[in-house]
Amino acid sequence: MKETFIIARFTMRDMLSRKSFRISTLIILVLIVLGFNVPNLLQTFAGDNLDDKVLIADPDEIYGQHLDQLNETCPNCDEMIISHDNADIAKQKIIDGEVSSAIIVQEQDNTLEFNYLVKNAATAAQPPQDIISTLEKVYQTAAIEKLNLTPKELASISPTINITVSQTDETEISGNVFVMMMLSIILFYAIYFCAFQVSSSITTEKTSKIVETLVTSTSPTNIVLGKTIGIGIVGLLQMVLFVATALISAHTFLDSTMLNQIIDLSKLTLFLGIITALYFILGYFAYALLYALTGSTVGKPEDVQSANTPVALLGVISFYFAYFTLTDPTSSLNLFAAIFPFSSPFCMPLRIMMGLATPLEVFGSITILIITILIVAYIAIRIYSNAILHYGTKPTWKEIFQNFRTK
Amino acid sequence: MSLVLEHVSKNFAGHQAVQDLSLTLDQPAIFGLLGTNGAGKTTTIRMILGIITKDQGKITWNNQPVTRKSVNFGYLPEERGIYPKIKTCDQLAYFAKLKGMDQASAAESINHWAKRLKVEEYLNLPAEKLSKGNQQKIQFIAAILHDPDLIILDEPFSGLDPVNTELLKNVIIDLSKKGKYIIMSTHQMSVIEEFCTSVLILNRGKTVLQGNLREIKSHYPANRLIISADEDITKFLNAAKLKIEFNKNLQYTVRIPNETAAHQLLRDLIQQNVTINEFIIQKPTLNDIFIEKVEQ
Repeated sequence: MKETFIIARFTMRDMLSRKSFRISTLIILVLIVLGFNVPNLLQTFAGDNLDDKVLIADPDEIYGQHLDQLNETCPNCDEMIISHDNADIAKQKIIDGEVSSAIIVQEQDNTLEFNYLVKNAATAAQPPQDIISTLEKVYQTAAIEKLNLTPKELASISPTINITVSQTDETEISGNVFVMMMLSIILFYAIYFCAFQVSSSITTEKTSKIVETLVTSTSPTNIVLGKTIGIGIVGLLQMVLFVATALISAHTFLDSTMLNQIIDLSKLTLFLGIITALYFILGYFAYALLYALTGSTVGKPEDVQSANTPVALLGVISFYFAYFTLTDPTSSLNLFAAIFPFSSPFCMPLRIMMGLATPLEVFGSITILIITILIVAYIAIRIYSNAILHYGTKPTWKEIFQNFRTK
Repeated sequence: MSLVLEHVSKNFAGHQAVQDLSLTLDQPAIFGLLGTNGAGKTTTIRMILGIITKDQGKITWNNQPVTRKSVNFGYLPEERGIYPKIKTCDQLAYFAKLKGMDQASAAESINHWAKRLKVEEYLNLPAEKLSKGNQQKIQFIAAILHDPDLIILDEPFSGLDPVNTELLKNVIIDLSKKGKYIIMSTHQMSVIEEFCTSVLILNRGKTVLQGNLREIKSHYPANRLIISADEDITKFLNAAKLKIEFNKNLQYTVRIPNETAAHQLLRDLIQQNVTINEFIIQKPTLNDIFIEKVEQ
């Protein structure tokens, strides 16, 4: 066990000292910070963008003094320039670039007409529905006021509408879909790319022939486990760094209203954090050991990609299986994805977050994953022991099977 | 201490890599393991080191079955390898720790051997900055820094310049004097003749010759004559039906069936008043014995 940790520590030092690792980590951190700054950057670059300015022209003064309420009624709408310009003046303002579009309000035979005027109808967006709705609402308010209704009469014709959502399924789902999908993607990339490093590290040692000295210094079990643990710790630290940077950036650079809309922080509990870390570790071990197996069979660097293809396919298929079954999280397929060892790390944390997973399901999923890891470790170490000193052409499946059987 | 291999065999998917191999090292010495490419030397070494398991036979060290843990061995593989981006002192410390050394004794041993092999100035450099010869010396240090009882050296001098070869030779001789058991595998027969007391020659997995090198050579009759004269003696050599291997500046290297043939030639030349400047009857070299055994 001591030798395993010596190898793990050496592997960590090796990874952390690599320029490529440091540069890629730094680039990703910068991209994360930049990503959360995109709304601010867009605003900075756009400045007083005319695209945001819509001229509301009421030449016949249909709205009267109510027209001034438009911007207050809809604070999230694009900026509305209120005027009593006629269609010709509005047209000229668009041509002059003062506004990007105009809505000319007219009344004909008790019918309210909105003429949406743009520079080029083919390239312009659809009429802004939020502004149209606001115009309708303000018009309706003005019309009601003219009737001099009592508050009771007013309440009867404009009732307060409460909308509630109910479901026929017995199981209730909670949580934010965006966060769940993001978590699934982060877990996949973290597990997949960290695990891939194990294969790369083993192949590098094999092709540089250092493995000859290494296998005479310690057992293959220590080598495989030491490498897997070392790279896993670095990967976990890297993931924590990315997630922490993302959270800090979100808090620092995003508007708090927008942030609350995206992330329901009440769902990010300590238990979920522990379970997610546990599934990351177990999922990483399952894939890392498979990659250790394929990495040990390769004698030349150019064969690494093709040797890793079966594991890569398994990872991608399992991820998409988990990802797409999350669109119907109460389905049997999603439950299967949460139990199947190669897809459970991408699925079960999300089921727990949604409040769908029972303790038995979680226990069963983790148990199956651990048993799978033990089986994969046994096979990987056995094949590694026999294949690691074989150089030359990539072995066939038959030869890999023979390596497994050879003592 | 003794290393004993008894009737050891290894088969790889129908290919008999090593067949019924037996050898004994019962006292500190340098033992030569010879063979053509693919003869089974590396497989034998790997079985001794416990990297691969034998199919049949017994390998013991001090009467105990050999396992990775039971033998304190050092190994310099033929396939040289080193971590290119990592400082040489760090990787030496890594291998020392894997061999059970603590930080302080590892550092002491690394400094001692680095000084002895004249690579102390490279300890803080990444291995890729070192010349091939210096990388090889670093790997040699990795094999011996933990003071192993059994040292296996696979082609230790390949790629080294004469100065470094001499440096390494002295270290190996010192290790032998200090009571280490050393197995040396090489194709350089002169090295084996210079260092080894006993040899084993493998051919296609089978032992074709084994024993004390001096005794082996004593069983072989003289087979070569070096003779130089003041005039061309080709006609005398042809008359005696002796094959000229080499002829330059009237110095001849001639194959002889036995010493009597050389004596007869000498008598004939003296009778013909030929002035002889040099007349050396040679025993077969290890190279001759090796080729003969392998070609049989």
